Amino acid sequence: MNSTKEIFEQLRSVLHELFEIDPARVTLEAHLYNDLEIDSIDTIDLILRLKELTGRKIQPDQFRHVRTVGDAVNAIEALLHHKPAAA
Amino acid sequence: MLMGFTVWPLLRLSSRRRGAARVQRAVSASMRVFVWLMKSLGLLTWEVRGLEKLQPRGQFVVANHPTLIDVVFLISLLPEVDCIVKQALWRNVFLRWPVSWAGYISNESGEGLVAACAAALRDGRSLVVFPEGTRTRPGQLMSLQRGAAQIALAAGCDFRPVTITCDPITLYKGNAWYRVPDRRPHWILAVGDPVRVGDFATNGEPAPLAARHLTQALARWFESSVSRQQGEMRRETRPDG
Repeated sequence: MNSTKEIFEQLRSVLHELFEIDPARVTLEAHLYNDLEIDSIDTIDLILRLKELTGRKIQPDQFRHVRTVGDAVNAIEALLHHKPAAA
Repeated sequence: MLMGFTVWPLLRLSSRRRGAARVQRAVSASMRVFVWLMKSLGLLTWEVRGLEKLQPRGQFVVANHPTLIDVVFLISLLPEVDCIVKQALWRNVFLRWPVSWAGYISNESGEGLVAACAAALRDGRSLVVFPEGTRTRPGQLMSLQRGAAQIALAAGCDFRPVTITCDPITLYKGNAWYRVPDRRPHWILAVGDPVRVGDFATNGEPAPLAARHLTQALARWFESSVSRQQGEMRRETRPDG
């Protein structure tokens, strides 16, 4: 899970696995709350799952400004390219 | 208003939890006075079915929300019950003390709210929630928020559903309170049998999925019970049509 495209595909499958969201509805422009009906409680589960997948620590702050799928992809990309926090 | 300065402070004199229960009983009593007053003034009538099912404590009461005063009826039927109150009321001069003394839960944050509601239920207290989050718009399909399912899953308890219908419909969303219907409105509050969480949420399912499935099941339950009850009310009032 490195290139933007791979991250996007991975996110698509996570959204399907966790929330049963039809992958066809997941586009970069799709709004997480308005279009995909992901609420604040879902966000917590989503961040937990991303933590497992990336093996990185995620501060909720890093996702505070995420509104669309595209924003989420960018946030994950930034996370992966950032050096892992010193253990 | 007068009660705000006299009755509520007196009731609170004792331990916090017991004080809250006492304030809740007083809120319930004042709601009973309100609905009886409305009835004696000839403004409305109502009937309750299955009231005895609300007696045990520690129940998660969920109801559909057709009219402005549904919560007044529900609280009048439940002497001690927690409910979720809009954060804005904590800033209201007359209401902030009663709502906080009654131990009502504020809707400030999503995650905190689900946890606080689940904690109240696990403590053996009853809780009332309108899963729609706001009043139903007449003529539109009910749409349920997932919060109620999230609370039930977090607390591990079943739903006690109450189906509320009103005919002719009044005090609905977008209807001004002073637009009085041509006939006296009648409410039916029917307490149903439990909707069991275990029947719809399978073990091992991720929590967000379980919440979705449970919400769908609850929505179907209410859709059929509301339409049955509305049909019955229409037949009673308009036997020819």
